[in-house]
Amino acid sequence: YLLITFQALAQINSLTGKVTDENNQGIPGVNVLEKGTSNGTVTGTDGSYSLRLNNNGSVVVFSYIGYTTEEMSVNNQAEINVKLVPDLQTLGEVVVVGYGEQQKKDLTGAISSVNAKDIQKIQVSSVDQALQGQIAGVQISTTSGAPGGNVNVLIRGVSSITGGVQPLFVIDGYPVSNAGIGNPLNTINPNDIESVDVLKDASATAIYGSRGSNGVIIITTKRGKSGAPRIEFDSYMGFQEVGKKLDLMNAQEFAGMVVDARNAGYLDNFPNGNINDNNTVRPGVNFDISDKYRDPSTLPTTDWQDAIFRRAPINNYQLSATGGTESIRYAVSGGYFSQEGIIINSGLKRYNFRANLDGQLSKNLAFGVSLLPSYTQLREVPASGHYGALGIIASATGMDPSVPVYNEDGSYGNTIPPVDGNAAIQNPVKIANELQNPSSQFRILSNAYLEYTLLEGLKLRSSFGVDLNYYKSNLWNPSTLSSSAPTGPATARASNTENTNWLSETTLSYKKNLGGDHLINILGGFTAQRAYNNSVTVTAGNFPDDLITNINGGIVNGGNQNIEVNNLVSLLARANYSYKDKYLLTATVRSDGSSRFGKNNRWGTFPSASIGWRISNENFMSNITFVNDLKLRASYGVTGNNAIGNYRAISLLGSNNYVIGDAVVPGLAASSLSNNDLSWESQSQLDIGIDLSVWNGRVNITSDYYDKRNKDMLFNIQTPSATGFTNAFVNVGEVQNKGIELGINTRNLVGEFQWSTSFNITFNKNKVLAMNEETARIFGSTAPRANSNVTQVGYPIGVFYGRRAIGIFNSDQEAAEIGGQPNAKAGDIRWKDVNEDGKIDDNDREVIGNPNPDFFFGFNNSFSYKGFTLDITTNGMYGQDVYNAMFAINNSGVQNNLSFIDEARWRSPEEPGSSQYGRLWGRAIRGGLNGNTSYSSLYIFDASYWRIRNITLAYTLPAAWLKNIKVQNARVYVAANNLYTFTKYIGYDPEVGIAESNQTAFGVDFGTYPLNRSFTLGLNLSF
Amino acid sequence: CEDFLNEVPQTARSAENFYKTGADFNNAIIGAYANFKHPGLYGNGGTNASMLWLTEVVSDNSTHGATKAVSNLSQFELDEFNISLSNTVTTSAWTGHYIGIGRVNTILDKLPAAAFDEALKARYEGEARFLRAYNYFNLVRLFGDVQLIDKGIDNPYGANDITRTDASVIYDLIINDLTIAENNLPATIPAVEAGRTSKWAAKALLGKVYLTRNQLDLAAQKLNEVITSGQFNLSTPYAATFSPATSYTNNKDVILAVQYKTGLVGQGSALWSDLTPWGVQNTLFGTTGSGGGFMQPTADMENAYEPGDLRKEASMQTAYKAANGSTVNVRHVVKYKQEGPQAGDADTDFPLLRYADVLLMYAEALNNQGQTSAAEPFLNQVRARAGLPEKTGLSQADFSLAVEQERRVELAFEGHRWFDLLRTGRYVEVMKNKGYPVQEFHYLYPIPQRETDLNSQLTQNPGY
Repeated sequence: YLLITFQALAQINSLTGKVTDENNQGIPGVNVLEKGTSNGTVTGTDGSYSLRLNNNGSVVVFSYIGYTTEEMSVNNQAEINVKLVPDLQTLGEVVVVGYGEQQKKDLTGAISSVNAKDIQKIQVSSVDQALQGQIAGVQISTTSGAPGGNVNVLIRGVSSITGGVQPLFVIDGYPVSNAGIGNPLNTINPNDIESVDVLKDASATAIYGSRGSNGVIIITTKRGKSGAPRIEFDSYMGFQEVGKKLDLMNAQEFAGMVVDARNAGYLDNFPNGNINDNNTVRPGVNFDISDKYRDPSTLPTTDWQDAIFRRAPINNYQLSATGGTESIRYAVSGGYFSQEGIIINSGLKRYNFRANLDGQLSKNLAFGVSLLPSYTQLREVPASGHYGALGIIASATGMDPSVPVYNEDGSYGNTIPPVDGNAAIQNPVKIANELQNPSSQFRILSNAYLEYTLLEGLKLRSSFGVDLNYYKSNLWNPSTLSSSAPTGPATARASNTENTNWLSETTLSYKKNLGGDHLINILGGFTAQRAYNNSVTVTAGNFPDDLITNINGGIVNGGNQNIEVNNLVSLLARANYSYKDKYLLTATVRSDGSSRFGKNNRWGTFPSASIGWRISNENFMSNITFVNDLKLRASYGVTGNNAIGNYRAISLLGSNNYVIGDAVVPGLAASSLSNNDLSWESQSQLDIGIDLSVWNGRVNITSDYYDKRNKDMLFNIQTPSATGFTNAFVNVGEVQNKGIELGINTRNLVGEFQWSTSFNITFNKNKVLAMNEETARIFGSTAPRANSNVTQVGYPIGVFYGRRAIGIFNSDQEAAEIGGQPNAKAGDIRWKDVNEDGKIDDNDREVIGNPNPDFFFGFNNSFSYKGFTLDITTNGMYGQDVYNAMFAINNSGVQNNLSFIDEARWRSPEEPGSSQYGRLWGRAIRGGLNGNTSYSSLYIFDASYWRIRNITLAYTLPAAWLKNIKVQNARVYVAANNLYTFTKYIGYDPEVGIAESNQTAFGVDFGTYPLNRSFTLGLNLSF
Repeated sequence: CEDFLNEVPQTARSAENFYKTGADFNNAIIGAYANFKHPGLYGNGGTNASMLWLTEVVSDNSTHGATKAVSNLSQFELDEFNISLSNTVTTSAWTGHYIGIGRVNTILDKLPAAAFDEALKARYEGEARFLRAYNYFNLVRLFGDVQLIDKGIDNPYGANDITRTDASVIYDLIINDLTIAENNLPATIPAVEAGRTSKWAAKALLGKVYLTRNQLDLAAQKLNEVITSGQFNLSTPYAATFSPATSYTNNKDVILAVQYKTGLVGQGSALWSDLTPWGVQNTLFGTTGSGGGFMQPTADMENAYEPGDLRKEASMQTAYKAANGSTVNVRHVVKYKQEGPQAGDADTDFPLLRYADVLLMYAEALNNQGQTSAAEPFLNQVRARAGLPEKTGLSQADFSLAVEQERRVELAFEGHRWFDLLRTGRYVEVMKNKGYPVQEFHYLYPIPQRETDLNSQLTQNPGY
């Protein structure tokens, strides 16, 4: 008996071998699995493996992404070496499309995919930042460098004027709402993401109907694979610093400018004045010159940037485990991410978990559960905006440099109350330290499904998910912190928001080979989704002291509760048909009913169709062997944008109280006009694309031409008063985005030294084709200038609109001779008389810049040699303008210490300034009558740039080193993010925008939180 | 499924489930009264009240006593009779009155289907019709032919091609509304409802409409009904009529007024703080802020008061005492003076219909019918309170002028002067004689550019 057992044990084979690629290089990380069991392993760094088999007669499966899967029969062999063949052009790659998956070779729509490797190479908090420059057609701008700061994602341009422009985010099949701290991607650790698929054309997005027209980004998190447990530990740590500092004046330069500016302003306003007049003679304080500026030689200089910026740590740790058997598979992870901001007292912390479970209950019944809980804590500082609103950047670049950060008595230095004739500016260090604005968010996205196979190929799938999202913020402004006075009333605000969202989906799919060359794949489904938002905000003032730093310490003086619900019911269908693997046809239709739409337009139907022709499969191509794949695609379809706000179709009642019987009594009257026809914004899109793969997949090209027309856009139009209302929301207007996308991936060198390149570029042209007759122009305003951007027919959305500066008057006489500007003197700005009426006023405004780029691109290279890999990721934009409001408010020679202003200013006809960027800046003058600081082309800058986003050098340790410590794979890397940006832009960073997602006021730089440059050291271990 | 898609706001009231109960309609009616405070009508009573600009500042009664600035160009356009199509005051007046009409049209549309107390329904209908008539009566006098809207409009394009309707048709609607209103409205308004319209307010307004239409016997009949009702008399002294101290119910001179309330509840009046001399610290006048110089009386107005007229001092002052005790000569209206409240938060109500107005209109109606001697007592009733001697034995023409003069001083700064001169057709003559650059076309204001831009069917008044 004992003997028999021994023999049985002895018979069990221990299989070893090595897995290599086409160049005989060992491939690490290949899954090796005894077929039909959970018994498996993964190859080491050199591609070798060792697997204890349960059954000597087994079949062993070798699988690795990008290579065709091999199955080998063991047949009592002790060693099996396998050479994996590259899956050419990754044709077998599966792409996630709405409500299903498709093989990449069968795609007829424009869908771009990014895999985990490319997402994780950049150390950022949120996956959208990592996607920048990686996908053609997707313009991503990090408009704030604050931890958790805003990121704008535009797919194929801005396609709405007043509705939403952000794409629909779908996480593991769940279309999520865009609420909370940043966008929903901020709550997911990029390490948890398996792939990102971007749906761009109507063929791809029409399955999302009324939410599809801004494009769709599908995030798929990692799921378990059957096999031995695989435990991974990923970590990086490093530091960040401000990417660029601006040159500031020293105290002496500042004093010189102040003296000149106040003298010039004095003479302008009081022609009988003399610059030698002392302060008692000069009226008011604006033209006063304090003694310290008259003799500035001994003044100390404070570098206000050094005071607010710091070197800030960034850390990330994640532990995950995946594995399972054929009947149950799991992927779980837990992570911690911490990013301190480069401006003092700002930062983000995130704790997140993930549990994905998939199983087979019976032969026909499968199930799965996903849970994605996260908790995010954010500390914000008011970086952007006017110093009068405590904007830290504007305060730091506006403060007199001779003011110290701390006075000798330890108090903060500032110019409050206004001293030396300066404007009141609060100490930015004090703002950052004393203003408290913490917020936190708990979000759990959960989804569960059952899938029943009714017949071979016929599957019924039903899922239910809930997205719970709670966030709160508390603002505390102590009495010691005022922008204009030594002390001011303390204020506090508490805000709580509950966002719950449920989704129910049922789909039936049928996939069948109809015999011979016909393959069909049909999907039909029904979904219902409800979004509920309940937010409560309470404010308090009248605090007796600063001891209690929340609303309870003061007297509650305001409050508001807002509950909004929106419901969506949909029917959807898709059919794919393929004939001989050459002719491909896809048709989709979705019908959406939405509570947002007016009664008469409650349901919208969104159809699309596309065709594909795989020319490379034609017989006549059989001789052209260097072409591996060639496909032409064309699609056309209609999608919608339902981001038009809730309850806009309904007439609401507003309070209209009156006095009756000497008492205030409540009265009500309609405050908005009902519009039962109000509906989604509608987009029709044509896409023509080509996919080409040549030379054994060494060169892959994808290119698309698209033409999108958005009609029926949401507008708040003026109505005749006879309606009883002065304005109403209606659907009018048309905007076009058309462009070309090109993506090229090449494997330049294969062999021991490998080099691959990916390049993508997008040319998009945005144009307003029609607007409401009565609303010829919509102005976008960003403080401090009203109406900085205009949207009008014939131009792109939100172009800059203002006066055009055409030079400097070099003498008083020249100004008088040219005329039109009666107050102009030598050194003042000359404006273009746009309407040629001989005078310069607000009618002399024209389009002076465009915040939309002509093109944007990504250019990424990857090198590897033995265990080393080097990744260089770059991206850029060309042709977009930025309106620099920092200069605009501050260029009056009083509230600005940017060296640039001092260097460029006009001093005399002989010294007209340094003419930076081909323009002259005029003289420093405070309160000048010519209005040199009027919003004009002087403040519009070319913000083209090319940025080295990331350089990562990684080394994968040889397996031999790891054997003894039971580590399967170990990789260490050093990375630098935002290493350098090539740009002529003079501000902190060319990627700006304080208007966040307000597309009618893009591209305004008003003290944006600067982007950081970071250096990190990382480690990936798997066991 | 359709239920699932029918979402109504939970934190904002929607019109969908409104207009059902008596309480709903009561709230809606109050909301319609509240439109008296639209800047296009009486606003907060001060410089944002279009109706005072369009009836007082454009007349020989007053001028704008402020410094011309970018912010008040439209106001100065009126003062200087150089009214642009985009004038904000006329635009606001047009808009404000149509918003008021929209509110009551909806009430009148929904009322028949609602099930609640019939008597109450009748009263709400009366109030709604009164308010509609009031709004149209102003519109038709300010702009001539206007758009006739007598049903609620429920879509944004619903008024895009509605043309102007002949003024006589508008008057038919006004008269019909007021005729129903006078039947439906209560005869007495209890103190707790002070501010709501009564049967008498409807009759007084109807009398004014008939007088304007020169339907003299009908005018006299309606006005006589008010006079003989015994509900009203002339408060003494004259100042008591405007005093915030006298309650509405005790003040029998006022038939209807725009109601204001102090206490920082968003219902205060700026009439006093805006009427104080321009740029002067209002602490001198018992309120805060600085003076608005609004409706500064002209020298001609000052001289219009007969010697001994008790109303003069109660209506206007020619000087004030500065902080250092010196006297500064600036004319300013004191009719609505109330010391105490902050600027813009006074309690003083603004009278829309007064008994004195009714008496003088009655006198005008009788005289125009040739019954001059029968008219005399009603003129003299008003003069008696002012401490002035009776006028007797005047010719019909002289009596007409006497009524015009009496109305000017009795109703000064209450928004009557321009309408009075319009009714008698003497506006251009009177103003020209005093050197104002007034022309024939000034009998109407321009249709606002905003409206003609939105509706190409709207024609412009001649002269603009």
